[in-house]
Amino acid sequence: MNDTPFRVRVCYSKTGNLRFIGHLDTQRLFERALRRSTLPIRYTQGFSKHIRLNLASALPLGFVGRAEMLDFWLDEPLEIQDIRDKLQKSLPMELQILELYQVENSLPSLQGSLLSSDYIITLPEEESSQEFQVKWEQLLSQPEIPITRREKTLDYKALIFEHQLLVDPSENLRLRLRLSSKPGGNARPDDLLHLLGVDPAECVIERVGLTFSSSED
Amino acid sequence: MPKDNISLIEKILYSVEKPGRYVGGEHNQILKDWNSVDVRWCLIFPDIYDIGQANLGLAMLYQILNSDKTILAERSFAPWVDMEAELRRHQIPLFSLESKKSLQEFDILGFTLPYESIYTNVLNILDLAGIPLRSVDRGQGDPLILGGGQACFNPEPMADFFDAFAIGEGEEVSLEISQAYQNWKTSGKSRSDLLLQLAQVPGVYVPSLYDVSYHPDGSIANITPKQTTIPEKITKRIVASLPPHPSKFLVPNVEIIHDRMSIEIMRGCTRGCRFCHAGMVNRPVRQRSVEEIIPAIDEALTSTGFEEVGLLSLSSSDHTQILDLTKKVQEKYHDRKLAFSLPSLRIESFSIQLMDELKELKPGGGFTLAPEAATERMRAVINKPLDDDDFYQTVTQIFENGWRSLKLYYMIGLPTETMEDVDAILQAGIKVQQIGRRLIGKSVKIHLGIASLIPKPHTPFQWLPVQRPEAIQEKLDYLKAGTRKAGIKMSYNIPDSTLLESWLSRGDRRLADVIQTAWQNGAKFDAWGERDNLQIWRNAFATNNLDPDFYSYRGRDLDEVLPWDHINIGVTKRFLKRDYEWSLAGRTREDCRNTCFACGILDAFGDQRPAETICYWGCP
Repeated sequence: MNDTPFRVRVCYSKTGNLRFIGHLDTQRLFERALRRSTLPIRYTQGFSKHIRLNLASALPLGFVGRAEMLDFWLDEPLEIQDIRDKLQKSLPMELQILELYQVENSLPSLQGSLLSSDYIITLPEEESSQEFQVKWEQLLSQPEIPITRREKTLDYKALIFEHQLLVDPSENLRLRLRLSSKPGGNARPDDLLHLLGVDPAECVIERVGLTFSSSED
Repeated sequence: MPKDNISLIEKILYSVEKPGRYVGGEHNQILKDWNSVDVRWCLIFPDIYDIGQANLGLAMLYQILNSDKTILAERSFAPWVDMEAELRRHQIPLFSLESKKSLQEFDILGFTLPYESIYTNVLNILDLAGIPLRSVDRGQGDPLILGGGQACFNPEPMADFFDAFAIGEGEEVSLEISQAYQNWKTSGKSRSDLLLQLAQVPGVYVPSLYDVSYHPDGSIANITPKQTTIPEKITKRIVASLPPHPSKFLVPNVEIIHDRMSIEIMRGCTRGCRFCHAGMVNRPVRQRSVEEIIPAIDEALTSTGFEEVGLLSLSSSDHTQILDLTKKVQEKYHDRKLAFSLPSLRIESFSIQLMDELKELKPGGGFTLAPEAATERMRAVINKPLDDDDFYQTVTQIFENGWRSLKLYYMIGLPTETMEDVDAILQAGIKVQQIGRRLIGKSVKIHLGIASLIPKPHTPFQWLPVQRPEAIQEKLDYLKAGTRKAGIKMSYNIPDSTLLESWLSRGDRRLADVIQTAWQNGAKFDAWGERDNLQIWRNAFATNNLDPDFYSYRGRDLDEVLPWDHINIGVTKRFLKRDYEWSLAGRTREDCRNTCFACGILDAFGDQRPAETICYWGCP
């Protein structure tokens, strides 16, 4: 075994049926795909060995992922294109690799450096732009936007970094959000929708980007 | 299904637990063009995805049917109660995982029935699909409702709900059924013509083509075909040699029970344990050679990425190349971070040798033995002979080889059983614990698993009454008190939970009314052990003027016509009778690999026996 692992970063989309596969299941799905790929995957050391794999952030059930990120490690360097081909071949159709590249071993973990997530929410047809804009601005004008999930209350006022209504008369109204994804301050767009009286199940929620503290872009 | 129905399905998925159960899309899923085939099957395991997806029979049929260009086969499972409520609320018919088409749109719905407590789920699924429950009520446009699996060796309780059953092994007959269906479909003839055609396929049982008459005491007088062209007896199907093993297993996206790949190394068993349904109905023994098994494991690992492999058979130790197999597995996979399991080992030192080969692959696991009875006398009655000295010697070696945890399986409620036999179970547990403590120390873990006998059709015990719950409870209480005092872990089934199985497993076709009434009154997922269901079942018997005790607590006369007498498993009733008599006389039969006892299997299937080089058969 080569002592210097080869760290690989993947940006991928998760769509269709796979929207309904949760975080831990997605992790196992990648582990099995890596095992199928015949790549020289790196295992953790210790008594119970498992594949070294690090997903940036849990994507809530039902959300479409347009730019999800993960890192895994190989025992030895390989051609990037070769890695990408082998991995893609062993993934289900609804997980598509968008980018794959080597990163330095010294970089902090994806999980630890995640700052925010970008979402595009396609609202139900019945939401008109004027009415929605009014309730959206009303919500934002409040001094605090407390939301409780699993007995923990967060003030979303401080967690909404950017927001924009995308109005195109020929299509459903869309809301673009940049929300905090920091540890202890992870905001979820579906919680905001509930406050606005919109059923998230009636929307299409896409996570379109992740921002990290040492983002290369 | 129209597109807005798919978006409706997606919408309800947000509100149910574990929606990944309902969406398919797994690696190795096969999604064919709906219009490119002639016959469309949906294979249904009537419990939730989590329970059914790992079923090896389902995987085999999925691959066999889909490998035919003219056929497509998709899957469906029972929705959990939350999903069922959503489906009913939005009036969405139950759909397949692959194309999300309503079950009603398929040609053939193939239900696998591995055990009896799954029956009400079949009715629920038909209802959710908008398909009439009874064969007699279904019309030209309805799918063919086909059953198969281990419980179908007595299909009678479900006879009214199914159009046809495939008795025995499905690998070949499924394609023949498909062909018969296609011929009928192009002929444009009536549905009753389809049933007549199917009855001509060997191994296919069309229950509506038989009359059953009863004596005044409720026992059966006659089971007779309605037409002379219909066979009097339906002989189960077997494959002469086990076909190439499926390898492209679907890899579930959500966590399921038995989340691993299974490789069947051998089918059938020659040991002849008298309580064992599987050992009687799956004869003859056929095995795959090491030369087939290793490439099959390789191929399946490459195509799935599973981290655990189960090497399946009814009696691993009896595979003629088993040591060679475990050695090869150990050599080949010891650095691949994989776990292998090898169930059903004989109680002998050889088993320890086998497990030692696999131990390195999965450190920390326990050892399991199934003596089933604790006195030599009782073991003779059930024909699982074992010398006490050999037993304790094996146990000693298990601990000497470093295993720290041992699970022992025993049965109670056996014929001729006394409290002495029950006490012997406790004493055996205590003695094993003492041996373990001496060799391993205080940390040794002993676990007794206690099951109570449910006499099964087609076994030498098929005539026996089930022991009453009060008697079983008394024995359990005795064992519970003793094991608690000794610090031994014990698990068991509450007596009531096995009652349903005892009613249904030896039931006749009058039970259809009971099953339907029970389902109407809310019984489903009976295998999940909901206590409330039992009262529903008792009421359903009462509503239909049938006595549940007739099916469970009644000893059958040896000359009685049994509800499954027209289903021929190859093993003759004459042999079973003799074996039952031997049982009561405490007379054992040795492994029939060495001496043929003329159970009937060679008379029924001997002409299909291939040369030894193609497939090893366990018969002498």
